[in-house]
Amino acid sequence: MTTLHINGKNYEVELKGYETLLEVLRDKLGLTGTKTACEESECGTCCVSINGKSLLSCIKLAADCEGDRVTTIEGLADGDKLHPLQQAFLDRGAVQCGFCIPGMIISAKALLEKNTNPTREDIDYALDGNLCRCAGYLKIIEAIEHAGKIMQEEGQAA
Amino acid sequence: MLLNTLTFHAPKTLAEASDLFGKLENVRLQAGGTFLLNALKLQKRKGTKTPEHIISLSKVKELIGIDTDKDKMTIKAMTTIDDLFESDLLNDNFAVLKTVCRNISTQPIRNMATVGGNLTCRYTWTEMPAVMIGLNAAMHFDGGSSMEAEKFFKNAAKTDKIFTHVEIKRDPKASIAYRRVKKTQFVDIPLLSLMINTTFNGNQFTNTRVAVNNCVAFAQRDQKLEEFLNNSQKSSTLADEALNHIDAAIYDTRSSDYKSHMFRVSLKSAIAQLVNSK
Repeated sequence: MTTLHINGKNYEVELKGYETLLEVLRDKLGLTGTKTACEESECGTCCVSINGKSLLSCIKLAADCEGDRVTTIEGLADGDKLHPLQQAFLDRGAVQCGFCIPGMIISAKALLEKNTNPTREDIDYALDGNLCRCAGYLKIIEAIEHAGKIMQEEGQAA
Repeated sequence: MLLNTLTFHAPKTLAEASDLFGKLENVRLQAGGTFLLNALKLQKRKGTKTPEHIISLSKVKELIGIDTDKDKMTIKAMTTIDDLFESDLLNDNFAVLKTVCRNISTQPIRNMATVGGNLTCRYTWTEMPAVMIGLNAAMHFDGGSSMEAEKFFKNAAKTDKIFTHVEIKRDPKASIAYRRVKKTQFVDIPLLSLMINTTFNGNQFTNTRVAVNNCVAFAQRDQKLEEFLNNSQKSSTLADEALNHIDAAIYDTRSSDYKSHMFRVSLKSAIAQLVNSK
């Protein structure tokens, strides 16, 4: 058995060496907020946070995550209180079909944890691996800027 | 199931990794995994043979980190591209690494991909080989052996040892121009990269290294162009003249003319940058 530390909990999982983190999250642990799309590291829908950085779970072996802090989209809200990024995405109408949004939020979270006042260039750079097929980038960027301000007000600044 | 069955190993020390690598057959080392995992998926789809064992180096702490002293920079193999980009040690001739890292792939990939993986994965289009040849870096391997980056890539990046770190000599007098062309802003398929590293004696180019990656063959030096530049002074016509003194075979990518043209544009632009530098 391998212990995976995900969203603040320890999961004892029988892992096979070839299973990707994406497969384990979705198929073994029921954490389906992390999405499956290209499965070849191009689209960013499978992004999860590992030790505070946004990584692609489709090209990360689950067994390679032992001892790491993994955060998925399910781990962001505090009970009923959404994370400022989740709330900002709703408030700013940044969600269209929604499929890319978990990955977008995870990548944005990694950025805002370093810098709550990012420039547009900073946001473009941090999210260059997250594709939105609805092309709703402008609202997404505005939501991230707004979330950064909320995080500053709430003292969640880096 | 995205991958074929394999046995996963995660050694915590270099000695343990080296021991496993020596003992196991049909084994592959995994650095960041950004090339390897996609390659394994592709091999599975094609029905070709895949390795039975993967040794991940991600938990080997002695392979992670960046260090500098007055003479050199040491970048350990498992240092990620993002960690190198974020490093505050990138001054003097090392500063070019900031530009190099910034232009590699996407943020999640930069967070995973490592300098060691980029140098040793044996894909011809990766970024670091031309950079390390241009910087005259030395590549070091488990057991204490080392080799100039240029020689390593001349030998098609073959090694049966674990790559441990790369060393770059500090050179505050270096003037460096780096160019990289990718397919589009959002689709990161590298098409070419080149680095020109020179030291000006007044207006005279000296000790020039021109490292070229045409993305078809392994990165190499254009010694013909180096010789021309080393016999040249800064001048407004130099960038145009230099194009008549390149080793054309290096730029022959067996693709259509547009790529050769992009090389000419990139070379001109890089030389012009150096000519205009103070």
